[in-house]
Amino acid sequence: MKKKIDFRHAIAMNLRGVRELHRVQKSYFPLLTVKCIFEAVSPYITVFFSAQVLKELAGLRREEVLWNWVIAGTICICVLAIINAFLKQRHETLLNDLWGRKEILFIHKMFSLDFSELDKQENHDLRAQIKQNENWASWGLMRSQRAYERFVTGMIGMISGITLTVTLFTSPVPKTAGRLVILNNPIFILIFAAVMVGISVFSGKLSGIAQKSWSNYADFATLGNRLFWHFGFIGLDKKRSVDIRMNDQQGLVAAYWDGNSVFGVDGPLGKMFMGKMGIYSSMGVCMTVLITGFVYVFTCLKAWAGAFDVGSVTQYVGAATAMIANIFAFTELISLMETNTSYLDKTFEFLDIPNAMYQGSLTTEKRSDRNYEIEFKDVSFKYPGSDVWSLRHVNMKFKVGQRLAIVGENGSGKTTFIKLLCRLYDPQEGQILLNGIDIRKYKYDDYMDIFSIVFQDFQLLCQPIGANVAGNADYDRDRAYKALVDAGFGERLESLEKGLDTMIYKDLSDDGIDVSGGEAQKIAIARALYKDAPFIILDEPTAALDPIAEAEIYSKFDDISGDKTAIYISHRLSSCKFCDEIAVFGEGQVIQKGTHEKLLEDHDGKYYELWNAQAQYYVEEV
Amino acid sequence: MNNKERPKYNTLQNVWWMLKVAWKAGKRAIFFCIISAALEVAYYLAQLYIAPEVLLRIEQRASIGTLLSTIGLFTAAIFILRGLMHYFTQNSLFPRVDVRSAIISKVTLKSNMTSYSNTLKEDFQKLRDKAYQATNDNGQATEEIWQTLTELLTNIGGLIIYLSILSKIDPVILLVIIVTCLAGFVVSRYTNNWRYAHRDEEEKYYLKKSYIRRKAESVELAKDIRIFGLQNWLNDLLDKVHDVYLAYAFRCEKAEVFAEVVEAVLTLARNGIAYFYLIKMTLNEGLSVSEFVLYFAAVTTFTTWVMGVLKDLSKLHKHGMDISRLREYLDYPEPFKFEDGEKIPEYEEFELQLSGVSFRYPGASEDTIHDVSLTIRPGEKLAIVGLNGAGKTTLVKLLCGLLDPTEGCVLLNGRDIRDFNRREYYRLFSAVFQDFSIVDVTVAEEIAQTKENIDYEKIKKCIDLAGLTSNIEKLPKGLETHIGREVYLDGVLFSGGETQRLMLARALYKDGPILLLDEPTAALDPIAENDMYMKYGEMSKGKTSLFISHRLASTRFCDRIIFVADGGIKEEGTHESLMKLGGEYAQLFEVQSRYYQEGKEF
Repeated sequence: MKKKIDFRHAIAMNLRGVRELHRVQKSYFPLLTVKCIFEAVSPYITVFFSAQVLKELAGLRREEVLWNWVIAGTICICVLAIINAFLKQRHETLLNDLWGRKEILFIHKMFSLDFSELDKQENHDLRAQIKQNENWASWGLMRSQRAYERFVTGMIGMISGITLTVTLFTSPVPKTAGRLVILNNPIFILIFAAVMVGISVFSGKLSGIAQKSWSNYADFATLGNRLFWHFGFIGLDKKRSVDIRMNDQQGLVAAYWDGNSVFGVDGPLGKMFMGKMGIYSSMGVCMTVLITGFVYVFTCLKAWAGAFDVGSVTQYVGAATAMIANIFAFTELISLMETNTSYLDKTFEFLDIPNAMYQGSLTTEKRSDRNYEIEFKDVSFKYPGSDVWSLRHVNMKFKVGQRLAIVGENGSGKTTFIKLLCRLYDPQEGQILLNGIDIRKYKYDDYMDIFSIVFQDFQLLCQPIGANVAGNADYDRDRAYKALVDAGFGERLESLEKGLDTMIYKDLSDDGIDVSGGEAQKIAIARALYKDAPFIILDEPTAALDPIAEAEIYSKFDDISGDKTAIYISHRLSSCKFCDEIAVFGEGQVIQKGTHEKLLEDHDGKYYELWNAQAQYYVEEV
Repeated sequence: MNNKERPKYNTLQNVWWMLKVAWKAGKRAIFFCIISAALEVAYYLAQLYIAPEVLLRIEQRASIGTLLSTIGLFTAAIFILRGLMHYFTQNSLFPRVDVRSAIISKVTLKSNMTSYSNTLKEDFQKLRDKAYQATNDNGQATEEIWQTLTELLTNIGGLIIYLSILSKIDPVILLVIIVTCLAGFVVSRYTNNWRYAHRDEEEKYYLKKSYIRRKAESVELAKDIRIFGLQNWLNDLLDKVHDVYLAYAFRCEKAEVFAEVVEAVLTLARNGIAYFYLIKMTLNEGLSVSEFVLYFAAVTTFTTWVMGVLKDLSKLHKHGMDISRLREYLDYPEPFKFEDGEKIPEYEEFELQLSGVSFRYPGASEDTIHDVSLTIRPGEKLAIVGLNGAGKTTLVKLLCGLLDPTEGCVLLNGRDIRDFNRREYYRLFSAVFQDFSIVDVTVAEEIAQTKENIDYEKIKKCIDLAGLTSNIEKLPKGLETHIGREVYLDGVLFSGGETQRLMLARALYKDGPILLLDEPTAALDPIAENDMYMKYGEMSKGKTSLFISHRLASTRFCDRIIFVADGGIKEEGTHESLMKLGGEYAQLFEVQSRYYQEGKEF
């Protein structure tokens, strides 16, 4: 944080922020620009008209002229107010929309990211940090929007202000005024400008220091925020409510919650703002009053000397005061951009994560005979950041149409094996071959087309059943229906009034139906069937099921697989019975391979041990 | 059902309540309100007078010295007031957060300590959501109210002072101002009401937006997205939910614009009348320019005070409603006895008994548990088995006093548990349920459930028994490693199996006389599962123990098995006797062991 941020870098980053936001909401920035222009000009218009009225009152007091100014002024202001109202409200609507749509930038990034990058804890942490910064004080993308807003308003405001104050300098004090003639000296223009800019910059600096002190505490404050959200809202989580009571957890929660007063009076920020920082920032704000004082002195002296009347005094003072706000906003803008840059750096670090995975250009042949052969050749793999091999020297060949079971203890590499097979990760050593060619040489999307996988933690959305099965809102209804029936969901489907269009889950509407874990699994299997890929892989499909539902899946497994190559991962060994071949994983290696019968013969083998650990309870000692 | 209509407490009562809370949690919140309001009124007054007073000096051609000292005096006053105002505004954030934190503490306390049965009631849940909503962020009633009160005080102060200034001019013009203000207020209320009336609709659209966004970002879905090519579907959904919300926002915008346009026209009328009247006065009665400036400024800003007071009052009313809901939540009656219950006597042994127990969930049309009687003898190892949805978990919740039966009673050594302090009763149980509450603290704190007086020797013994020692040793800071990533960035994430064993260690550390394990092996591999069965004897030594499972195999090491189906105990006995009986248990066992059974042939 301490490192001085290059100002050009700051501008570049904030501009990129604006460009990125513009990509997701095209009408926001044009509208914002128009709104800022009108908003910046409006106060000067008011100042101008009321000054005209006062000038007339201070001078000739012609009734007709007065009324003309009054009518023109009030109507003009009214029209401006109406235009401003339209712009302001539309702006608010679109700004709100922008807040939502900026998330799409991140989502798209996550869609296109290599899974191995997406799965990295450091990238999760980075994303979480970006979110926290946004929630904390909208640091990041949305602050670059604010910088843009300040810039336009400040610029237009200053130009308007200068226009209204030009005559302050061009109206000379008459020669009769004695010593005050000195005010005609052009040096005063310089002094005037110097005072305005000098004080503004100084006060902007003071406010900037105070503002930076907030962000210096960013890490501390985000920790405070995390504690706040975690411990303050535990009571909302339904799943916790039993455990909290049985373990009297409130004591522990309170111990963490009560010790956390980051934003309280006794917190570091509270103390700082009661003391030095509070004074800095208050000084920063009230310094600008001195400019008003100075403007009063200068214009009043000139008026007193007879350069212009009191009506003009109000115009100059009014215009100068409005301009102070603009200049002040401008100086603050600079520190705002500088501070925001460190947050934007994080944002772009995430949005710019490179994809390291090699993407080939070969297309996979669409073979109607489903004659695909996959081979693992001496494959080794470790997760990024880990120095333990998760898979070591794995060799394996699948034959088409085979049923393969993969078993092993937790952490033996079963799921990692699948992740490599479907290229969620690439191995560090060895090769995976599809019909003899390294899978990295194929087009990624093409390669993915040959797999259907039901992961342990598969996800369904609160959307119609049919759309969930097809993974699209537009789909072939007959095929979806057939897939659901094949997966064993047919009976429940028949009982649903809206059939395929029935919403599942109640997250989004009360019309949604609740589905049990087993039913959800069937829908997930149906999704895999709908895809109709040559390989179908089921990862621990029965862990959450009771015996009846488990038996049902087993008995269906053969139908489900059809002519596909099927891979079945489980730690319930009963599933192995109906597979042609079983691969036993242990510590990242394939330690045994063969049929159920053959593997059981080896009484020293892992398979025998695993089998007996479970079977002993089921085998009746007759 | 009618409690939706009327809040229990009125606005004044709620303001008073907030003041009382603040008096304890952050007095400055109150003082700063008053100070800020006073400063603000003074500031506006100085702003109002500076121009007329200075202009007057020029008009009167007073000496340069007088002119300069007038400017100096006003500048100094505004300088100081502006600075102080900012200082207090900035510093009022902190005590306000303190007060809100104090209220969140109350809400958390209620949520975490309330009778479990309350958490199942729909009206309780609704009040709870409202209570959390009212404390969610700086913009909610429990914090925003201080801002509203400050503004209200300012506006009332300004109103009074301006009235006295304007008392010199025609009352008709005052009347006109007030009437146009009221008209403006009515219209702005219309807008607010529109928003308020449509807030459920808005909430619905908002929910959709955040749901789809959350899902699209989740790592769990990321795999499915890649395998099944869900990007297009999700992109369409993302566009759709944002478009729907935007369409709603446009409708909302129309109402807002309408109110503002009316306000602009009313301002036109007001300014026109003020000009007309004041210019006439100037021309006819020879009012000076400085007087004109003063009155014109006073007339046009007078509106702000009137509007301000009206708006603040209606805001305060809204805060009041939110705070009232929150208080209703805090007041929600407790069906269980806690500190007001009897102390549990120092029993040597614990016998649990269900006597004619039925239970029906609130709003349900059928009993989940119907007329169950069961005695669990001290030191007995009991297994409860049955299919998903048979009522096993409900039965257990009744036994450990999380739910009270709708009929019949639960007895501890012959005494109805409803008479006891329920929290003390919970202390008798070392329990692992299927849903956990793991908070982001250190491993040691998680197991001991406290920050102080942790017995590390005991912890080591418990993690060993739970089979977790090697996993803990691998952690960077061992027992002092943080769990989870929500709070501490260096925290670790446990796998499903590790979590289950961690929970087991926690239960063992608690060392209650009754051990209760609900499906403790679901996430374990066969060897770990077997390992756990082997150790079960040691874990439950000297305790009464309950083992709930749908894996029938796991129940053989228990003294007695009860088979639960359709809300009652269908069969009961040892594994052998149940198999001999050839009933539902035996059938289910047959289904489950089929594949293993055949395996034996080889």
